Amino acid sequence: MKRTITLTSSIQTEVAPKVAADNRILPALTRFAANLTGLVYSLFGFMLLIAFWYFISRITEGGLPTPLSTFVVFWELVKDPFYDYGPNDKGIALQLGSSLSRVFLGFLLGSLFAIPVGLLMGANAFCRKVFYPVVQILKPVSPLAWFPIGLVAFESASMATIFIIFITSLWPTLINTSFGVASIPNDHKNVAKAFGFSKWKYLTKVLLPFSLPHIITGLRLSIGVAWLVIVAGEMLSGGMGIGFFVWDSWNALSLEKVISAILIIGLVGLLLDRGFSFLEKKFTYSI
Amino acid sequence: MSYLRIENMEIAFRTPKGNFVAVKDINLEIEKGQIVSIIGHSGCGKSTIMNAIAGMTFPTHGKVTVNGKDVKGPGPDRGIVFQNYSLLPWLTVYQNIYQAVDAALKGLSRDEKHELVEKNLQMVNLWEHREKYPNQISGGMKQRVAIARAFAIDPDVLLLDEPFGALDALTKASLHIELLKLWNLTQRSKTIVMVTHDIEEAIFLSDRIVVMNNGPASTIREIEEVHLSRPRNKKDTVNQPEYLAIRERLLGLLMDKVSIDEKDFYKEEAAA
Repeated sequence: MKRTITLTSSIQTEVAPKVAADNRILPALTRFAANLTGLVYSLFGFMLLIAFWYFISRITEGGLPTPLSTFVVFWELVKDPFYDYGPNDKGIALQLGSSLSRVFLGFLLGSLFAIPVGLLMGANAFCRKVFYPVVQILKPVSPLAWFPIGLVAFESASMATIFIIFITSLWPTLINTSFGVASIPNDHKNVAKAFGFSKWKYLTKVLLPFSLPHIITGLRLSIGVAWLVIVAGEMLSGGMGIGFFVWDSWNALSLEKVISAILIIGLVGLLLDRGFSFLEKKFTYSI
Repeated sequence: MSYLRIENMEIAFRTPKGNFVAVKDINLEIEKGQIVSIIGHSGCGKSTIMNAIAGMTFPTHGKVTVNGKDVKGPGPDRGIVFQNYSLLPWLTVYQNIYQAVDAALKGLSRDEKHELVEKNLQMVNLWEHREKYPNQISGGMKQRVAIARAFAIDPDVLLLDEPFGALDALTKASLHIELLKLWNLTQRSKTIVMVTHDIEEAIFLSDRIVVMNNGPASTIREIEEVHLSRPRNKKDTVNQPEYLAIRERLLGLLMDKVSIDEKDFYKEEAAA
């Protein structure tokens, strides 16, 4: 009897490390395989898009530049992104940088306004009833409609651009924040009540942790809106930025540059979204 | 003068369809150190009575007094274990208890609070799991955390709102024992009021069982005294004649038709 026990235990000690090693390698392998197949699928999608693009450029006989000629121009742009030959001729990275800094400034101001107001609207039924109709009226207004107001208020096209980013990017954050706060389950509120949480403790241990994922989702939507708005805004305001670059390229009749800019705008938008969805995952607790 | 008194209590809620009376004419006196169960069908206002003692809802008539003082809101003299654990999912097991202790016992120093949390987590054997989050532990463990949290603020009255309702039979049975152990550890000085719809659970744990009528406007139907000797244990207690007799009586009170009418079967058959 005793011998069988020692026997099984010795077998187990021999087998156990192998199993543990497999447990570490296998998930990594499956993850790698999943990433690889994902990559293959997306490559296939892009190939279809490029084929379609080529097809259209063939039909229009040069009306739309071919993928190859566009790629040559694209390469020219990204090869030397930081050159600066005066106000109307700057590298693509400088244009992007100027757009991004405006986007972040407008987005930051918008968030600084939207989060506290959203918290207030979520927590207080009176505030919600008073402000919600206002929000619903202002939210669907096109960003460009705000531009003249920005111009009058700040007397500067650059400031007006930041203003329209501020005013159009704050709504998703505001609405998500107030929704998050308003949907705190009664269970959590009851715990706070039963144990006599102070206002501060309720704010930091119940309200904010619960609403944080909602707030970050709002921020993610907001930065997306801000990035959409900047291109339109800079087309109007001119001077500098990726939107101005698109307009300038169009005036110089270089559709290759316009399409390259579209690709770059899309890529940056994707990166911004990925950044915020990373934050979203990081701050989401599981129930 | 009893420790916990409910006098002529009526609780009504305003709804869009008019006034809804949940419970009325509730008179109940509970001595210090007693375990009392409130039992009844769903929607009979059990939890409403519990919430009134907790100070989360207020009577429209009558009043609740604990230790001679009117209940005016929640307080650290009454600890609550909620129906669905109600742990905060973004806090660890340790922090869930610490934040409650920190809020409820303002006079203690930081070290004393940490000591209390450790003592109570040890008591429910969860000290090793203190750094885990609620979603990483089982339902039974969550309920032990909730019980430890209620005990940690050292309340005189412990309010349990269907505390074991969501647990499987085995976990439930071991938690019953654990609850009684904790009660013994505090020299049976804590008054425990528990809402349940489990007859066996009520008899095994309680000194008295309050049976409710069906709602709306439900009243107390009967109060059953349980004189089973303590300490109780599952194996022996459930076979005692008194246990079986009480069980029979409660079944009769709660289910007007304990047996299925065989005649219906033959009637259907004849019709067919």
